[in-house]
Amino acid sequence: MSVPNNRPLVVFDKVSKRFGEFVAVKALNFSIDAGEFIAIMGPSGCGKTTTLRMLAGLEQPTEGTIRINDQLMNNVKPHERDTPMVWQSLALFPFLNARENVEFGLKMRNQDAATRRAKALDWLERLGVAEFAERNVETLSGGQRQRVALARSLVTEPRMLLLDEPLSALDAHLVIRMQSVLTRLQRELGITFVYVTHSQSEAFAMADRVVIMSNGEIAQTGLPRDIYREPASRFVAEFVGLNNIISGKVIGSTDGIVSVDSPIGRFTVGSVSAAGGQGGSSVYRTGDQVTFVIAADLVEVSRPQPQADNVVVCSLISEEFIGSVVTLFLETSDGTELKVQIQERELETLDHTSGGTFYLSWRQGNAHLLPS
Amino acid sequence: MSTDQPVHRRRFSGYPLTWRLPIIFWQILFFVGPLLFMVAMSFFLVKNYRMVEAFEFKNWEKMLTRGYFWDSYFLTLILATLSTIVTSLLAFPAAFALAFKVSPSVRRWAIFLLVIPFFTSYLVRIFSWYVILAESGVINAMLATIGLGPYTMLNTKFGTLVGYMTLTLPLVMVLQTFALSNIDRNLVQAAHNLGCSPWRAVYTVIVPLAKTGLIVAALFCFILSFGDFVSPYYLGGSKPPTLPILIIDTTKSGQQWPRAAVVAVMMMVTLITIAFAALSLAYRKRASR
Repeated sequence: MSVPNNRPLVVFDKVSKRFGEFVAVKALNFSIDAGEFIAIMGPSGCGKTTTLRMLAGLEQPTEGTIRINDQLMNNVKPHERDTPMVWQSLALFPFLNARENVEFGLKMRNQDAATRRAKALDWLERLGVAEFAERNVETLSGGQRQRVALARSLVTEPRMLLLDEPLSALDAHLVIRMQSVLTRLQRELGITFVYVTHSQSEAFAMADRVVIMSNGEIAQTGLPRDIYREPASRFVAEFVGLNNIISGKVIGSTDGIVSVDSPIGRFTVGSVSAAGGQGGSSVYRTGDQVTFVIAADLVEVSRPQPQADNVVVCSLISEEFIGSVVTLFLETSDGTELKVQIQERELETLDHTSGGTFYLSWRQGNAHLLPS
Repeated sequence: MSTDQPVHRRRFSGYPLTWRLPIIFWQILFFVGPLLFMVAMSFFLVKNYRMVEAFEFKNWEKMLTRGYFWDSYFLTLILATLSTIVTSLLAFPAAFALAFKVSPSVRRWAIFLLVIPFFTSYLVRIFSWYVILAESGVINAMLATIGLGPYTMLNTKFGTLVGYMTLTLPLVMVLQTFALSNIDRNLVQAAHNLGCSPWRAVYTVIVPLAKTGLIVAALFCFILSFGDFVSPYYLGGSKPPTLPILIIDTTKSGQQWPRAAVVAVMMMVTLITIAFAALSLAYRKRASR
């Protein structure tokens, strides 16, 4: 890569995009490093696809600047850029066969027929669909079409590949397989992948860094694990993972441990994050309104009353069997719903079908205070 | 048949038949019937200005061995082909703009305006061209102010083409607009994304994607031009005659309805062949090996 190491490949500087009255993206500031696999994730309408389309030049920013490789891109036309995209609908040309689809980008760069053919076949081979080279793309299966679309985008050897929810139309087992194909490709090629998705599992499984967007703004940027364990806002806590969100008043704060009085009981929460994120205990004063998060998979559930702090008494409302894990939905006496995720095999020891009282508890260090 | 087994007889269902019957009835009565009669008539004979039933090949011999028939045939074929090409090419930029460059409401109004010409009789519209194309007409008067002309436009092949296009251009434009509007915009953007300039996308992506509709539009233009009597007669001067004019002339000269039927059958065969070829080209799928 000819990109200088200390300079990011892509820089968004106060980028806004409005469609009439609607603000799709608000003053976006972020950068993407060369060779990074970055996932932009958020609910529909959060501006993630608009952000990707601006990168491809299919939309122009209303305000702000986008630079790729230190070059101002605002007025560069889509066809003058080197930012191929894998579309949600795949957008394969139905009037061309698989090989001709892959050759399209090379043809536009006026390469000769023999070179085009060789490169196209090479890429189809690399993605394991060489045997379908001469097939009508409409006769291929979803996974095969996906691979042809990937080959078509990569055949021109771009520095950066844009992916717009490319796996959303595939069956669950194919998604898993394509995820490993994509991560392997990205490592081998060493190019930048910008991956837009609403799926947490896709983003977390593949990306080096995840950007969470909400209402046209960045809600949080970070490593998948940091976002999962230390959501920066109530929105992220609700959007990512399965979290219990509890609000209350601070009743005391010593040595980085905050005591919180909430409608469902008194709890102690560590106020210093593992990543050293949000300041010391001095931030929290008695009487302050605070919210903390405890992930459903970090909650213990038991029948005998445990000898621990942070205990809540609940009754079981319902359970959701997912596979190896089970989600239990419980309710406190005042009607607050709490969620617990446990291994399916642990369920048997719990005697959960007989009703009665359950005790939820968690270690103080596992609860995470949201920044106020 | 044993009685203890339930009898699975195909029950008569009136529902599908109710819907199928009218079109079958209509086609037999107004298409197959007249067509067979016309073919039969081409073997009839005319004696003392009266048609008599017969099965003779004299009419076919007479018509197909005459130079004037083939002159008419190729003239009509060439004029209709020319009309199809020119109309399709002239309509395309307008249809392109309506499909891609204007808002949906503007498109709706434009399509409405393109339908308006059909409110007036085609014959009236053809006569109105006299005022415009005549030696002393609007165009020549305007050209005269800059010292050009006068040009003869009436009673020429140019006049015939203008007439054909009066009939076909609005229709072709509407059909092309529909064809282009139905294109998946993602595919066009995908082409841009892969380095295809907007100009190049027109013929590498947009025309192939709209192929079916564009060919159907052209086919309509060809059929209407090929069978049109009014334009070549009133604007083209009818000499040499096109096939529809030849039919009229033949029936007038000595009640030669059987010979006119020969011309008509030849026209039908030509149109059916071309329509079949055009439609199979239009709906041809990408071969898969």
